[in-house]
Amino acid sequence: MGFWLELAATGLITGGIYALVAMGLNLQYGLMRIMNISHGEFLMLGAYLTWLAHTVFDINPVAFLPVVAIVLFFGGLAVYRLCFRRIARTSPSVDVIEARSLLVGFGLMYLVQNAALLAWGADMRGYSYLADAVEIGGARFAANRLLAFGFAIAASLALLALLRWTIFGKAVRAMMQSPTGAQLVGIDTAVLHPVVFGAGLALAGMAGGLLSMVYEITPSMGEPYTVTALIVITLGGLGSAAGCLAGGLLLGLVEAFGMHFTNPSLKTLLSYGVFIGVLLARPKGLFAR
Amino acid sequence: MTANLRYTITAVLAAGVALAFMPWLLSDFLLSLALSCLMYVALASSWSMFSGATNYLSLATSAFFGIGAYVTAWGLETLPYALAVPLGGVIAGAFAALVGAAVLHLRGAYFAVLTFGLGELVRHSITYFEKTYARTVGRVLSDPPEAVTVYLTVLLITVATVATCAAVRASRFGLALAGVGADEERAQTLGVNTRRVKIAGFALSAFFAGALGAAMAVRWTYIEPMSVFNPFIGFQTVLIAMIGGAQTLLGPVVSAVVFSLFSELLRLQFPYAYLMLLGLLLIVLVLYLPGGIGSLFRGRWARA
Amino acid sequence: MHWNTGIKVIAAALCAALLAPAFAQDAPVRIGYAIARTGPWAVGAQMTQEPNYIMWADQLNATGGLSVKGKKRKIELVGFDDRSDAETVVRTYEKLMTSDKVDLILPPWSTGATFAMMPLAQKHGYPLLAPTATGRKLLGMKNPYFFSLLQQPDRMMDALAEFLKARSVSTAAMIYVDDLFGLEQSAALVVSFKEKGIKIVESKSYPLGIKDLRPVLTDIKAKNPDAFIALSYPPDTFLVTAQAREIAFNPKAFYVAVGAAFPIYRDKMGPTIEGVMGLGTWNPKTSAATKAYFDAHVAKHKKEPDRWASAHAWAGLEIMQQAVEKVGLDRKALRDYIAGNEFTTIIGKIRFKNGENISTPGVVSQWQGREFEVVWPPDRATSSALHPKPNWK
Repeated sequence: MGFWLELAATGLITGGIYALVAMGLNLQYGLMRIMNISHGEFLMLGAYLTWLAHTVFDINPVAFLPVVAIVLFFGGLAVYRLCFRRIARTSPSVDVIEARSLLVGFGLMYLVQNAALLAWGADMRGYSYLADAVEIGGARFAANRLLAFGFAIAASLALLALLRWTIFGKAVRAMMQSPTGAQLVGIDTAVLHPVVFGAGLALAGMAGGLLSMVYEITPSMGEPYTVTALIVITLGGLGSAAGCLAGGLLLGLVEAFGMHFTNPSLKTLLSYGVFIGVLLARPKGLFAR
Repeated sequence: MTANLRYTITAVLAAGVALAFMPWLLSDFLLSLALSCLMYVALASSWSMFSGATNYLSLATSAFFGIGAYVTAWGLETLPYALAVPLGGVIAGAFAALVGAAVLHLRGAYFAVLTFGLGELVRHSITYFEKTYARTVGRVLSDPPEAVTVYLTVLLITVATVATCAAVRASRFGLALAGVGADEERAQTLGVNTRRVKIAGFALSAFFAGALGAAMAVRWTYIEPMSVFNPFIGFQTVLIAMIGGAQTLLGPVVSAVVFSLFSELLRLQFPYAYLMLLGLLLIVLVLYLPGGIGSLFRGRWARA
Repeated sequence: MHWNTGIKVIAAALCAALLAPAFAQDAPVRIGYAIARTGPWAVGAQMTQEPNYIMWADQLNATGGLSVKGKKRKIELVGFDDRSDAETVVRTYEKLMTSDKVDLILPPWSTGATFAMMPLAQKHGYPLLAPTATGRKLLGMKNPYFFSLLQQPDRMMDALAEFLKARSVSTAAMIYVDDLFGLEQSAALVVSFKEKGIKIVESKSYPLGIKDLRPVLTDIKAKNPDAFIALSYPPDTFLVTAQAREIAFNPKAFYVAVGAAFPIYRDKMGPTIEGVMGLGTWNPKTSAATKAYFDAHVAKHKKEPDRWASAHAWAGLEIMQQAVEKVGLDRKALRDYIAGNEFTTIIGKIRFKNGENISTPGVVSQWQGREFEVVWPPDRATSSALHPKPNWK
């Protein structure tokens, strides 16, 4: 693999990880305007569950991903029932849903993060899994990063197909465009809302599980991931599965080439520069409808 | 000036005068607790002044606060404290005006996320600048002012913030801001220069946050980007203002005091579980008191 | 409740009240601190610092307490969470020093938190033995109550340069994190390497919280330096290790800074880190005292202490203990005693000069098997160095 191709691949892989981190929040915030600022905390939960399963019960982390997804999906249903259903019902407008869900998100963030602290302590944790490099066209890539990247691409495409071609996807899109209109044509938002929210948490949990193979984990690891997720989905255009993937990949590429041509210290400046530039040119993100 | 506004401002000034005696009545610890309360009163009020009225959810508070703090960090060797504090406010305000001119056409989530990014952007820019040109990151303040001076300065800023909020609410400018919040197109049709109003409101709100950052920074001896551009200062401000009811004058004030005292009490009493309790309370409060604490005070104060 | 029992309870209470003055002189020694139990600082604080405080108090209380001029008194720890926030650090120490009026204080975690509360320690006269604060800027405050236990950057980098020189390393590449720690360490490294004639072929900095360093490592690999030095924090320490292995960048010497001494580094990275070097001071093989400390820590907290600052934190507690035994709880006398005497600790003899620990030398440690062996200086070495570093496994 040539030097430039390898650099691009590096950026794309990291970008895939950014997209992976953002996918769950994109469902919740993008489709339902639930500003779930505790997104990173649920990602952290997924990471801890996977770590626990692997180090204590010696379960294969990849095989455990579906379990994480199911646990967090039902957890999501419960969280929606307890916290967000009331907000969705009593708020007069989407702006109000956004503001109130932000506050509830804060509460959840404190709650979940500290529950994890009490359960597992503040220590850094981690395990080695699929850390060996795979050779592709003469370049070497860590297998666990490739796995996270592949998962991000596959899940994005699946989500895209689901939203575009299935009746479920049509219902979700209708709900996003007009909640009242959706109900008028017989879409049961009382079922759809919790399911979409639960799916968001399931995606966050799986992202956490995959990241626990790549990076080390701590109870306070969530907040930076929430920030990354917010930037990626805003960059791509809220609610757009293609936008989320494109946003993540773009950030990854900008960083990789930026780091090569300038200085790693400028990395964050470059990514924010691109972010602000895109929003100035296209105020509703890359994939705005 | 209406009678109502005169009454409000008199009350604010009276409270300010009463609080000015605190350094001689309270212990060092209680005084710094009072200082924290005041800081959040001012931050939440100044945030509400713009974001509460216009419904533009700004997460830039920590950026403005940090800029103010950095003005102190760089300026205190050559400038007196009394000058560094307003200068911090002015520079934060100017920055807000500049940024506002570029991004205030964005709405909703896009505006919120972008303003959050601002804090990170400024933090990394300053780090890069210092590292490249000064070969250091952060500044050590060798001769910081006394705790009493800091307290009185923060008190002064707080009184000024709350009084300004009250005055703005009663003015044409305040009505224009609220008009933007209610329906921006209609406000424009009615002849409000919404762009100019938004930029002015954003900058005014940033001025107070910047001045507070400049005033508070001296308490930490060592000022570095990581600690002064702490996103949690911004988050906490939004949290307090919204819990209090960002459309009211008194809501954020009461909420800041209650929240600061309550979280400190929990922290000291339940050293391991207090954040869980705080999180739980927050959720319950939002679900069952959606209008915020301010909705409990009807009548004169709520409208003042 | 029967009348009888009621009367007994009242009688017991009265007795207790009457006897209280007799017990009063045995009142516990109250020792206060604020430390991160939540937020981003908690990882380091709960790895290196607070477990030592708790173990120390428990160990002493089990033997009757802290000896105050020969008289044993129980220790009562008054510890609060500082939420990883400088303002909370300041406020909590104000409470401990002025409202609770504790007898002694223990330091918070991190250079930033120490900076923030140092003026209070001086104002209220509390000696402060800091195990996780490093940098010449701290010493530049000339605070008479401040004592720094860690080796200063120049000492550590001199040791590294000597070690590499002794192995005829002639070129090196470095990356460093963009904050005070990274800048002070890298500045010290440039001086030390120049002195020893090691050429720095590449030097790049990176921001905190970075998630990918591969492009930088690829560029450095192309320059083929003998040694690679990352003046890094824990997350980046893990990151550069994983990514250097990913691209098969295997210089003769591979050095990472903070976090290399953490047992989790070994557990997360696996056997691949054989031969990786980093900041360390000790390990259980250093002496019988370190072995006893290590075993007690594992028994008490079910986890290993880190091989660098944990032992410095313990040494700080030992110094405090020896000083209190000698001069009691008069804090001014304590300060003078600490400033003017030499102490025997788990990491060897320690003497302070203007607040700096001038006895503990710069140390280079290296992962060999499951232990972080000390390989430099020779008189502290617990194993001979692996050089060149074996291939990544």
